[in-house]
Amino acid sequence: MAANFWTSSHHKQLLDQEEVDVVHPLDKERGITLDDFKLIKMHMATYIWRLAQFVKVRQRVVATAVAYMRRVYTRKSMTEYDPRLVAPTCLYLASKAEESTVQARLLVFYLKKLYADEKHRYEIKDILEMEMKILEALNYYLVVFHPYRALSQLLQDAGLNDISMTQLTWGLVNDTYKMDLILVHAPHLIALACLYIASVLREKDTTAWFEELRVDMNVVKNISMEILDFYENQRMITDDRIIAALSKLKP
Amino acid sequence: MAELDLSKKVADRYLKREVLGEGTYGVVYKAIDTKTGQKVAIKKIRLGKQKEGVNFTALREIKLLKELKDPNIIELIDAFPHKGNLHLVFEFMETDLEAVIRDRNIFLSPGDIKSYLQMTLKGLAYCHKKWVLHRDMKPNNLLIGSNGQLKLADFGLARIFGSPDRKFTHQVFARWYRAPELLFGTKQYGAGVDVWAAACIFAELLLRRPFLQGSSDIDQLGKIFAAFGTPTASQWPDMPYLPDYVEYQYVPAPPLRSLFPMASDDCLDLLSKMFTYDPKARISVQQALEHRYFSSAPLPTVPDKLPRPAPKRESRASDFNSHDGPTVLSPPRKSKRVMPEREGFEGNAYKVHKIDDHVDEIRLAAGGNTSGNEPVPLSVDFSIFGAKPPNRPTINSTDRTHLKRKLDLEFQHPE
Repeated sequence: MAANFWTSSHHKQLLDQEEVDVVHPLDKERGITLDDFKLIKMHMATYIWRLAQFVKVRQRVVATAVAYMRRVYTRKSMTEYDPRLVAPTCLYLASKAEESTVQARLLVFYLKKLYADEKHRYEIKDILEMEMKILEALNYYLVVFHPYRALSQLLQDAGLNDISMTQLTWGLVNDTYKMDLILVHAPHLIALACLYIASVLREKDTTAWFEELRVDMNVVKNISMEILDFYENQRMITDDRIIAALSKLKP
Repeated sequence: MAELDLSKKVADRYLKREVLGEGTYGVVYKAIDTKTGQKVAIKKIRLGKQKEGVNFTALREIKLLKELKDPNIIELIDAFPHKGNLHLVFEFMETDLEAVIRDRNIFLSPGDIKSYLQMTLKGLAYCHKKWVLHRDMKPNNLLIGSNGQLKLADFGLARIFGSPDRKFTHQVFARWYRAPELLFGTKQYGAGVDVWAAACIFAELLLRRPFLQGSSDIDQLGKIFAAFGTPTASQWPDMPYLPDYVEYQYVPAPPLRSLFPMASDDCLDLLSKMFTYDPKARISVQQALEHRYFSSAPLPTVPDKLPRPAPKRESRASDFNSHDGPTVLSPPRKSKRVMPEREGFEGNAYKVHKIDDHVDEIRLAAGGNTSGNEPVPLSVDFSIFGAKPPNRPTINSTDRTHLKRKLDLEFQHPE
């Protein structure tokens, strides 16, 4: 699979961080800062993840849904595309695209359960309408590659595929979806960064193994630093900040 | 409003022309792309009924065709929503391989056959390289453009097969093109299923009629074994372990030459390698393309020079309506319908939805396999016969292939 990532639409659509970190003018008008923007996307990634646990879909579907959501906001404003509707719709669309369809009815049921918020009660019709808009926003590109497959291959190759390392790295990869990494870097590089962090954390000597790989270690290290920065910053994130950011969207 | 913009887009960019037919998930019509001046085919995907948004099959097709760009694969040019429906814009294709095979006025030289097969395999090789299984290979899904280029179309059943051990449904392909492992119910299969189907198409090009016309899954296997002999354990060690395996009475294989008297040695060699029972031993598409059949004389005909059905009065939609409209109403999904009696046929019901395999093609056994039993001159005057029953369990549309243009496989009736 890795071989055809390079010819995929995913590869062609990779962006620079600066391109991802652009707050849409309409959102800016409402006072959304870059921090708010990132915060909302992170919150919505977590939200998709929670919703996915109810409707029981594979990790891959969640990852694809989050990638769709992040791609949407490189092109569309949160003002026009309310994240509270975009997020579940991305999960709905991803479930179809990844061949494990979730019924819209079921999704809406859990949606109401999760979001008690009266203002944002969405019905099947809303999801289906948004599905079409998301498809358009994605320019109909639906194939997304993820670090998971590369990760298991790399772990095996490095001889680190024991349960503890597998769990740690897998968790790290899951957390990368709280960032925009999937829009910026090739999935196998994200996997490598997670493996790198884990091996440093668990004091596994992987220097020789990394040296043998034909990858730019600077890129891997940069991604790793980004991930570590994220963990650092996340400590300062409170629910209040998220609520404040979201409330700017719809007062 | 966004909606307004979009409706403008249809009007602005695409000039709508006549309806070409009705497909699995909506109407297909012809249009002119004003941006490029090219003819296009637009599939309008109906939404709604089941409250499940964009049709799953359509979504699959979009997802894969956005990734597959190759001269031998149909191009998805554009997609847009309009009045709540999703529209897919495809390059316009003049005809399809089934129309070519059935056209009695066309003589296919060995070089022509080689060319059609080569283009089919090239498109397939590209899919397999991208880890995509087509899973619905058959002549009427192989469209032919005005320059003679053959392109694989209808990816509504296609799947990415990257993940090892993933279980897939075996209910794929029109029955006559289904590999023996699928007929025995395997859920783990690979690119070999497309190779088998391509072999059936190869044989069909040689014989000018569908090669293995089973009337049920059991009968299909019977037809396969009658042609190539019942497989032995040494030929196909995994066979007895397949989910729906049943033992068949031993039949020896007749010489392949007796089935294809006109074929060259190279041709028969490639054919037998593509028709290998054990999917693990079956030739890959790439290997098939490298087979000496393609490098030996006669060389494949240049696509431009390939014989094609005579172009029909193309823009006369009324023609199409008057001849075809009232008579050829294909059955709704998953139903069968008995066609008016014609020589050689008793009735004909065809598989309407490709996923379900209830192909209840009823043919008279007697002579069912001889070409004399084929619908007689179908070519030029096909349209005036109106409701000619297609003699194959495809999803349909054969009776409308004379339209020389089609995109979707399940045309139902013109509007």
